[in-house]
Amino acid sequence: MSVKRCSSAAALLAVLLVLGACAVPQPYRVPSPATTPTSPSGSSPTTTTPAPTPEAIPEPTPLPAPVVKEPTLSSASRALVAQAQSQAAAKNFPVAAASIERALRIEPDNPLLWIELGKVRQEEGNYVQAENMARKALSMSINAPRTQSTAWKLIADSYRARGKNVEAQDAQRRSEGVSR
Amino acid sequence: MKKLSKLTKRILIGASLAFGVGLIALLAWIWHLDGIVTKQFEGRRWTLPAQVYAEPLELYVGQTFGADTLEQELRRLGYRRVDDPTLAGSYRRRGTRIDLVSRKFQFWDSLQESQQLTITTSGTAIASMSDAQNAEVPVFRLDPLLIGSIFPLHGEDRVIVAPDEVPALLPAALKVVEDRKFDTHHGVDVVAILRAIVANARAGQIEQGGSTLTQQLVKSYFLDNRRTIGRKIEEAFMAMLLEIHFEKPDLMNAYINEIYLGQDGARAVHGFGLASQFYFGKPLAELQLHEVALLVAMVRGPSYYDPRRHADRARARRDRILKLMAEYGIVEARAATVAAAKPLGTVMSGSSSGSYYPAFLDLVRRTLQRDYREEDLTEAGLKIFSTLNPPVQNQAEKALAQELDRLEKARKKPAPQKLEGVVVVTAPQNGEVIAMVGGRQAGFAGFNRALDSRRSIGSLVKPVVYLAAVQSGKFNAASIVEDAPMEVKLANGQLWKPKNYTEDFAGPVPLVRALSQSLNLATVNLGLAVGLPEVTKEFKALGLKEEPPQLPSVLLGAVDVAPIDVAQLYNAFANGGFNTPLRAVRSVLDGDGKPLKSFALEVTPVAESAAVYQVNQMMVQVMERGTGRGARALLPSGLVVAGKSGTSSDYRDSWFAGFSGTHLGVVWIGYDNNTPTGLTGSSGSLQVWARLMSAIGTTSWNAAQPETLQPVTVEFQTGLVARPDCGQEVLTIVVPQGTELPQKPGCELNGPGRSWWDRLIH
Repeated sequence: MSVKRCSSAAALLAVLLVLGACAVPQPYRVPSPATTPTSPSGSSPTTTTPAPTPEAIPEPTPLPAPVVKEPTLSSASRALVAQAQSQAAAKNFPVAAASIERALRIEPDNPLLWIELGKVRQEEGNYVQAENMARKALSMSINAPRTQSTAWKLIADSYRARGKNVEAQDAQRRSEGVSR
Repeated sequence: MKKLSKLTKRILIGASLAFGVGLIALLAWIWHLDGIVTKQFEGRRWTLPAQVYAEPLELYVGQTFGADTLEQELRRLGYRRVDDPTLAGSYRRRGTRIDLVSRKFQFWDSLQESQQLTITTSGTAIASMSDAQNAEVPVFRLDPLLIGSIFPLHGEDRVIVAPDEVPALLPAALKVVEDRKFDTHHGVDVVAILRAIVANARAGQIEQGGSTLTQQLVKSYFLDNRRTIGRKIEEAFMAMLLEIHFEKPDLMNAYINEIYLGQDGARAVHGFGLASQFYFGKPLAELQLHEVALLVAMVRGPSYYDPRRHADRARARRDRILKLMAEYGIVEARAATVAAAKPLGTVMSGSSSGSYYPAFLDLVRRTLQRDYREEDLTEAGLKIFSTLNPPVQNQAEKALAQELDRLEKARKKPAPQKLEGVVVVTAPQNGEVIAMVGGRQAGFAGFNRALDSRRSIGSLVKPVVYLAAVQSGKFNAASIVEDAPMEVKLANGQLWKPKNYTEDFAGPVPLVRALSQSLNLATVNLGLAVGLPEVTKEFKALGLKEEPPQLPSVLLGAVDVAPIDVAQLYNAFANGGFNTPLRAVRSVLDGDGKPLKSFALEVTPVAESAAVYQVNQMMVQVMERGTGRGARALLPSGLVVAGKSGTSSDYRDSWFAGFSGTHLGVVWIGYDNNTPTGLTGSSGSLQVWARLMSAIGTTSWNAAQPETLQPVTVEFQTGLVARPDCGQEVLTIVVPQGTELPQKPGCELNGPGRSWWDRLIH
């Protein structure tokens, strides 16, 4: 079922030969951006690096590095997050979480709010949900290195709190790596 | 003589003995009644059904509300339009500006005091909000709509009001109409009883009741409905005993909370607090003169004077009562005349606070039954904050009813039974169930198909198969699968020969086309290539309660699932690969207003975001050029949605599940006895779904594209990479960076000269 109907191994060595043999155009290789960001899917702490580019295949021009676009909070969300932070400071975690959930109903796609909710869970001691909230935030903070960094930091904290030090270090590295 | 006198003596002794015994018995009985009256009435604990609220409306700058929509929402909440809003629950509109005074409300997380709010709108959005001091208000919650209560089997429902929540007119009117000597009598008004007897004798039927308010209270509170002389006497004694033990204001307040004022299906409407919500959709404190008079008018016969069924009768009696009130100086004659000129002002049952949504409330009840006993729910006065969005619920009911009517009208011969249907709507990102219709008659409490009807889901399984394929790393949207006749040898030795819907086959096709056109043979081939265990595991991972059996027929949807569980499954797609348990309840307050419990938002990553994104993009193509394209005519142009149709074998079940950026909708249509309907997912449920989505103002699906993916243009038919201006029916799919795809000869993206990307970028 593979798409690579022409043997790509052969293609690596002799493009012309392969072209002739298959009588079809050479396969198109989907480009990667100029800078390779880390995997945003975050379903596993291990990085998946793209396969090395074979020399023999002519590459399309690499994509320009994407424009950085950090999210911001609306004024309604800002007010609710401020309220939640003071509620969390008073150790009233369920109410603090409820305030952030209100904001999330207004801006469900804002990763900053998922991070805030994760922070409340972390303070409350619900480390698994803290990590999950951060991963949810990561899945929506595309081209937003600063937000990604904050999310990875929360993941690192969550691992550390659970004694998963290796994973914590990895997440910490990502936090520092993507914030550059 | 002697004998006689002896006899007389005996009679006298016997009589006095009997009298003595009788007296003792009477005293004992009174003592017994006193026990009942004091013990039961002392605590005055009504069983208070839990009250269920809809989600509150959040107002904030940028909220997509024009002035008209906002006014409509305020009216739904029973806010009254006035010239000068100073009282809670009133507003003024001047063009695009609305000034309102909110109601005090105990939310789960805080008490919100009544406050003034000025809102200006521009076009279709809120432009600014400020308070009485002209300070900016960033976000504000309106008091939520009361959508129903969880009342016990005997069906008494009520909303308790404290004396300060009762308009002064109400007790005054009650006294004038029902019991003019209330302030002075001792429980029984002998003159009134005699007058009633005379009047009734003259009329030859019961026209007047001589009962005091206290007697009425006793009758409703302690006694059953039997009308015997014995009951009357018991009632009179208990009324007198009550008067000995309790003050008049206490008795009046008890009366206001106790008395029966109407019937709503299985639930009995008790007390003026609930009656106010039920008939007028607003709190008792906000009632105006003509509304108070109507409720007082109904005391004598809530069904005889039902303003919804017998408007003329109710109005005539209301106006008589207004006249009486003026006569006795409670209101000025002019005010009474003005009030009598007003319409009854009742809200439609089913469109406002009085209504209730049985399927949704059933879900609420089941949610809470895990944590609370039945008595807690029906008696302890809990306040339940639900996730129901009334406008979306109303649109869901409407879309289903209209489409089922249309389908049945289009039939050539009448069907032996009525088509049934279900709609479930969720907010995918937080898993809140915002609407649920459990059957065609949405207001009818019965079999809740949304929760209990497990039916074959047909092709709704396909996105799960495709997700398993993409997650395996071996397939992408342009990968080729064979859509050709096939035979699968089953474990029992039988041969399984699946067929396509069209009985035809398409040959080699890319995944995106196989899913869009719902090709069965291609899907079975794909599923078998991925491996059955991988596929069935995926169902469980995404949130289906039970893993389906590892049978090839599962690849074509031979699995029975309830609509709510389909919603849970598809919610994982709509939520980008995160599972969020569906919720109908946000939180619960106890009878004293203390927070009891909250059902917090939880998310769990269950599938690779990038894989889910690729499958979702394929489901966008289902809507663009596949089995979902029939929705396009109804949907706003440019609205990006993703979805999948499903038809079970022999057209027994018509399904559609699909989502936008903010709403997931699952629709089922079929017959209760599982006979064929002749409908496909596209010809039945898709239409309901499209009507609903077009009516609720939803937003496009525009999830962030994972950084590991890149778009590329391919031909829909062949899956070959092609320039948009060159190939046939070229569409954009997303694949992982570095994926190699075959190109269409002559249409190469990186063909001679400048690359396609170069031209796109420059």
